[in-house]
Amino acid sequence: MIFSSCRCLAKRAQSRPAAERHNGRPSKRILFLLTMLFIVPLSSIASEEVFLKAQAAYDDGRYAEAALLYTTLLDEGISNAEVHYNLANACFKDRDLPTAVWHYRKAWYEMPRDPDIRANLHFALNAAGAIESAPGFIERCLSAISLSEWILLAIAGYILLTVLLLAALLLKPARRNLLKLGLLPATILLIAAAGWRNWHQMRENPEGVVVRTEATALFGPVEGSTAHFKIPLAALVRQSNTDSKGWIEVEYDGKQGWLKSEYISRLSP
Amino acid sequence: MNFEGLEIKPKRWDVRYSIFFVLCSIFAITGTVFAADVQMSIQPQQISLLDRAVLKIEFLDTKGNAVGFPQIEGLNIQYQGQSSETRIVNFRSSSKVIHSYLITPSKVGDYTIGPVTARFKGGEKELTGQLRVIKPQNDREAQQISEIMFSRITTDREAPHVYEPFGLKLKVYLRDGVQIDGSFGIQGGMPENGMDGELQWTVTDREREDVNGTIFNVYTLRTTAKTLTAGTFTFQPQVQLKVVIPRQQRRSWGFDDPFFGDMFGRQETRPFTLDCNKLDIEVRAIPMEGRPDDFTGGVGIFDFDVQVGPAKVKTGEPITVKMRIAGKGNLSKITPPRIEESHEFKLYDARTVATDNPNEVRFEQVIIPKSGSVSNLPAISFSYFNTKTTDFRTITQGPFPVTVEEAPQQTAQVIATVPSTIQLETHILGRDIIYLKQRPKVWKQETNLPWYRTTLFNILLALPALILLLVSGITARNNTLANNVALARRQKAPKAARRNVQRAEQAIRKKDESTFYEALWDALVEYFGHRLNLAPGEVTLNAVLSRIPEDQDALTNLFNSIEQRRYGLQSAESTSKEEMKTLLRELTATLKKCERRKL
Repeated sequence: MIFSSCRCLAKRAQSRPAAERHNGRPSKRILFLLTMLFIVPLSSIASEEVFLKAQAAYDDGRYAEAALLYTTLLDEGISNAEVHYNLANACFKDRDLPTAVWHYRKAWYEMPRDPDIRANLHFALNAAGAIESAPGFIERCLSAISLSEWILLAIAGYILLTVLLLAALLLKPARRNLLKLGLLPATILLIAAAGWRNWHQMRENPEGVVVRTEATALFGPVEGSTAHFKIPLAALVRQSNTDSKGWIEVEYDGKQGWLKSEYISRLSP
Repeated sequence: MNFEGLEIKPKRWDVRYSIFFVLCSIFAITGTVFAADVQMSIQPQQISLLDRAVLKIEFLDTKGNAVGFPQIEGLNIQYQGQSSETRIVNFRSSSKVIHSYLITPSKVGDYTIGPVTARFKGGEKELTGQLRVIKPQNDREAQQISEIMFSRITTDREAPHVYEPFGLKLKVYLRDGVQIDGSFGIQGGMPENGMDGELQWTVTDREREDVNGTIFNVYTLRTTAKTLTAGTFTFQPQVQLKVVIPRQQRRSWGFDDPFFGDMFGRQETRPFTLDCNKLDIEVRAIPMEGRPDDFTGGVGIFDFDVQVGPAKVKTGEPITVKMRIAGKGNLSKITPPRIEESHEFKLYDARTVATDNPNEVRFEQVIIPKSGSVSNLPAISFSYFNTKTTDFRTITQGPFPVTVEEAPQQTAQVIATVPSTIQLETHILGRDIIYLKQRPKVWKQETNLPWYRTTLFNILLALPALILLLVSGITARNNTLANNVALARRQKAPKAARRNVQRAEQAIRKKDESTFYEALWDALVEYFGHRLNLAPGEVTLNAVLSRIPEDQDALTNLFNSIEQRRYGLQSAESTSKEEMKTLLRELTATLKKCERRKL
């Protein structure tokens, strides 16, 4: 309904008299701006409506319908962590564990410190009988801050460092102290770079959710190779290598083995 | 010795040898290319049912990828990996890439492996191999592995409910005479999801059993399983064990070792995966019908008792309610029974209490009466689903009489610290996922570029660096000029000359001769003063010529004519405008020439 009203606005704009259209560009621009001003809130109202409908469906126990509605939002290009999280909840209740784990993880990329997302992801992986990876202390710290937050921190460090260097250039008497103080933003920059690299590596070696049963990782990327270990459905694995013939080397529970790519649904921040 | 006149020249035979060696190398390389081949071998070519063979595909003087073999009934071919060898004999090198496969038979018979096509650089070849699988020496009846060893899985509960523990029994049958190393591994064949934790199998019995007239050694493994969801759960575990087989072939470790091979009667262990029947268990959901409101997920057969103490307290003092649920069932999934809330007391979250008994779960909950009118703590009910009677049962304990006295005002503050410690000890009992999140304040569009990838952001990001660069450039320039007077003055020279030339032009327009010549003189003095870093009094023709001798004529002419006019040494007749302009042009041209010169 709301989209149709947007279309109406556009149609109205098109059906204006030719004279008016030719008369002045400003009026056209104003109309365009007005249209844009209306379209943005209208689309957000539509999203809100779908979101609330999905929530109602979830509350009524119509999990498949709720999942479908949340998926509609994602299909429209909305990428909020809340939508991924709620969709994951609906999928979990609908017994679609791989999709649930996939969306919990996607939500986690956006909000890595959110306790609800972490708890539900943990719960879903437990229900799947999958072993959660246990990253080291440094990786855990670096992953606790999202990519955008690291970038913001890096920018803050960069601007602070620039200001301090400018001040050091201009204020000779305070130069030594200002340069000493510059170590702080420089350290922030370095840490933020490490944080950014951590997320970047996650993009280079994306994670994946096992979407097929009987996933057995093999020793080599060859059909009939020796079986190495089994991976349960909906387990979260990390890609470490790929093969041109559609094999992916995955890391799970400290072991590495080769799986056919169709067993994995990849995701990255 | 006299070496003079000794000249080393390449002899003819040297050149011939060089050509010969080059040709030999070319032929050798070409020969290597033509020598490329691929071979397949199976060792040994005759094995018993409990034995295994190794298939090798060797790429000689070439490289090639592993070959995929089609499924052959009765044989299991597993790729083991690749190795390579390089040999140099009589200055000729040869290399080999070997892909190894392990063949494990499960049936007696003659097998043809292949044909398979091995591709290598420069060609491809079809490979075929033969393997004979015979009956084992100590068992002439068995035609296939599944007749020698197999496993069977059974359950003690036909249709359990969700969360209800049920027993699984796995019997491993080994024909009398088959020796194993005693360890069992169970890999896969279990439901992928919906199970509550991993199954822990333990060997409980070992006995001998007659199966169709054949004696088997039977190992019994047991475990208890629980499911989180209803539905059909399929169990078909793949039991892996290692069979001990006397070594049949001597192994050579660089030399033939009959002594070590036979004297100690060495044995080998070989892994086998056993066949097992498929067991489908239909897990029933806990019915919705008749489900009490206070049902907290208990499934099984339980007892419930509650202890309350102390029975006499003052307002603000804590009363501890200790609850114990014991029996058989999903104890770990049970959440604490709910105590009805009231405005007369404050209720804190229940916490689980560690217990040594695996068949019980204990909870403690703190209640703080707010008023002296409290005479009873409400009754506490525990509802569970009884798997024996397949209905819901509720056990109620209480109400519990307590005596609460009004406390004096000052003690209330002291007691107020109690809850915080209790809350710290409380740990969250998760039985379900956390509820949905509220709608976001801002809707993020995935199609949009992230803010940190927009052009505007990149421009803005470069701005502070550019400003810093600019300021540091200016500061560096200022510092250089402050420290280098000659350079600073050099930069002032053209400006000073230009200023005076403009003054002279104005004087021409006004036809003010004295000002004109004064301006020309100033232009010369100021320009060369700055340019050559001389004090105003030091700027003389000689001083300038000593540094710029190239323009001697022009400079001498300029200095002399301006000086003469300035001091009225030339004819008293007034100079025409044209002459003044000519002189100015000369001055400008000379100064421009000097400006271009490098000193």
